[in-house]
Amino acid sequence: MIMRSGQALLLPANPVFIWGSLIAALLLNMLPLGRVPWMPDFLALVLVFWNVHQPLRVGIGLAFFFGLGMDVHQSSLLGQHALSYTALCFFATMIHRRLLWFSVPSQALQVLPLFAAAHGVELVIRMVSGGIFPGWILLMAPALESLLWPLASILLLAPQRRAPNPDENRPL
Amino acid sequence: MPLGTLDRTPPPFFKQGHSALSKLVFFSALALFLMVADTRFSITQPVRAALATALYPVQWLALQPVRGVQNASGYLTGLDQANSSSEQASKKLALQSMRAGQVESLEQENARLRKLLGLRDQLTASVMSAEVLYDAADPYTRKVIIDKGLVQGIELGSPVLDESGVLGQVTRVHPLVSEVTLVIDRDLAIPVLNVRTGARSVAFGDPATAASGSGLELRFMGSNSDVLEGDLLTTSGVDGVYPAGLPVAKISKIERRAESAFAKIYCTPQALVTGARHVVVVKPATSRLPPRPGDLPLPAAPKKGAAK
Repeated sequence: MIMRSGQALLLPANPVFIWGSLIAALLLNMLPLGRVPWMPDFLALVLVFWNVHQPLRVGIGLAFFFGLGMDVHQSSLLGQHALSYTALCFFATMIHRRLLWFSVPSQALQVLPLFAAAHGVELVIRMVSGGIFPGWILLMAPALESLLWPLASILLLAPQRRAPNPDENRPL
Repeated sequence: MPLGTLDRTPPPFFKQGHSALSKLVFFSALALFLMVADTRFSITQPVRAALATALYPVQWLALQPVRGVQNASGYLTGLDQANSSSEQASKKLALQSMRAGQVESLEQENARLRKLLGLRDQLTASVMSAEVLYDAADPYTRKVIIDKGLVQGIELGSPVLDESGVLGQVTRVHPLVSEVTLVIDRDLAIPVLNVRTGARSVAFGDPATAASGSGLELRFMGSNSDVLEGDLLTTSGVDGVYPAGLPVAKISKIERRAESAFAKIYCTPQALVTGARHVVVVKPATSRLPPRPGDLPLPAAPKKGAAK
């Protein structure tokens, strides 16, 4: 196994934790905070994160079904989030081998176009089907998602960074 | 197999599953099919209803913290607001009580006059109260979700009112919740009646102007038509959906342009389209109207050529 220098060897990921984080992101997305176009899509962020870190456990199919759930919740066009999440996770799978060789801030910069493309797909679909243009503030959403990437890297990898053999000095 | 983890199981060597590209093609095609089915054929309602019911517990859970904060802040703002709002309410009640007293006698009188004239009795609508759960987060439409659904007997197309006017119309009914399209949505149109002049027209949602206090537009009114700023528009009742006489909007601005045959008329919705909490769902008047002439079986038409 080739590893870049200074990279920590991580514990295996817990499937329960992966699912828990996805459900938590869905809950965050569902918080009834009103109609806010610049709200970052937490579910998209977590899906991309797990697609990069655990591509065998979280894939395009799961993203599709979570997208359908978001569509029904937002009562938007059925399939709109599903399509954007599918595309998002496809690109995440494409870059997952390369991405982890970079430092976390430059990873954030590299996932920015992915999030921008996902929001672009939604915008184009809704404009074609006769929606209301939500304003240029929409551009904030991918930027915020990309800014949240380092936070997601810290939070979602924390359980895997624990000591493999906990003792009195390293209880966790 | 993710890079750099202490995974105990070796990664599958030959069983890699479908390629990412084939999955992308399959799921994108499925999503596109669903979108077309949703907009053109509207056959996806069972899928939506099933998913909405499955998501209901999650939605309920997500609703709790926000509701908690709302309740807590409402509790803290407390006495002053309660006093002032009760004062306002009693003022409003005093103003309305006079009219309410007249209504009984007027109704009686109206019924007698209608009987005299041989007109049909006016329709009385049955109503059901509901609570707005949340604004639908979709920024491309203007919708809210209410807490009553198919189980409680909500019908598709029911008008929804709040305390000051028409809020919108039920456009989707799920088993436990329903979706209400607001009057300011681009896809909603309401036949209205100008109370001052009695002229009928149609008000369309205009969300682009909603930020500046407007939100509805009266289309296809000639630039010389008799409209004034401040005119009240009520439902006309000709559509057979909205009961007649409910306040919809007030005209806020009129632009008469020389180059156009039509005036651009902006209206302000009377209902609280951004902050309604308690609403009333009215059964659509369609079910209580007599059948349209087109729906009746035609009398046997004489055969072609037979009459000659």
